[in-house]
Amino acid sequence: MTALLYNQVYVYLFVALFLLFCGIVGLLYRRTLIGMLVSMELIMNGAGLNLVALNRFIAPENASGLVFALIIMGIAAAEAALALGIVILIFRKHLHIEGGNLQEMKE
Amino acid sequence: MSSAEIIFFLVILVTMGGAVMAVLAGSLIHAMIGLVTAMFGIAGLYIYLNSPFLAMMQILIYVGAISVLIAFAIMLVGPFYLKPKEWTTLGKFVAALGIGMISLLLFVRFVIDTFPRTGSPTFAMDTKRIGRAFFDELMLPFELISLLLVVGILGAIMLALFSRGKQ
Repeated sequence: MTALLYNQVYVYLFVALFLLFCGIVGLLYRRTLIGMLVSMELIMNGAGLNLVALNRFIAPENASGLVFALIIMGIAAAEAALALGIVILIFRKHLHIEGGNLQEMKE
Repeated sequence: MSSAEIIFFLVILVTMGGAVMAVLAGSLIHAMIGLVTAMFGIAGLYIYLNSPFLAMMQILIYVGAISVLIAFAIMLVGPFYLKPKEWTTLGKFVAALGIGMISLLLFVRFVIDTFPRTGSPTFAMDTKRIGRAFFDELMLPFELISLLLVVGILGAIMLALFSRGKQ
């Protein structure tokens, strides 16, 4: 019997690659800041899926990948809270949330 | 094809469809719904990876917390006075497609033969071992994460309280 599909590592790696690709497309192609943040969350989820899959298939004797996936979730929560606070602040000041038009912090 | 494989296909389809919807949806609230769909799909993949605790954490943190946060931000930013253009130039989309093609080529060429094809069938990482890993050898990163969350909360409160924009 051949190996089952969900028991092979490259399927998970491909899904994680697809999530990374979607995140890159969103980061480059979207204009609003919240859309870019959603894409950022996709990239972080792809990284977490990669870590867990490699932990399960390559190094099954310890739990490092799972722990790092949990740490990524914590970092993503803090990042989302701060980024959304900044987005709301930008909206109060400029009345739009387009990333390309914000040039105050450049100089 | 067994029923487990069919469900696995469905989970992968849900994940990829949610990711595509999160990127290509026209309005932000549809993008958020796509993100939630992708999160549920990833939780299903975690269950297939023998780690149900992580799947529960995924649903709790991402679907329960971050998506609600994003929804609140969308509602607060809400009625766009100046209706923003959602997309940048097409050239950036083409550039992103190029990056995707190159990474897919690298994946097929180099990564896919690096790892062994099948995993060990006896991978059962229960919550007890995750807790031991956190509190024994990874104590410092755990505390740093809690410190990061506290600093994030304080920073968000500072941003909300001590800044006045034009109303």
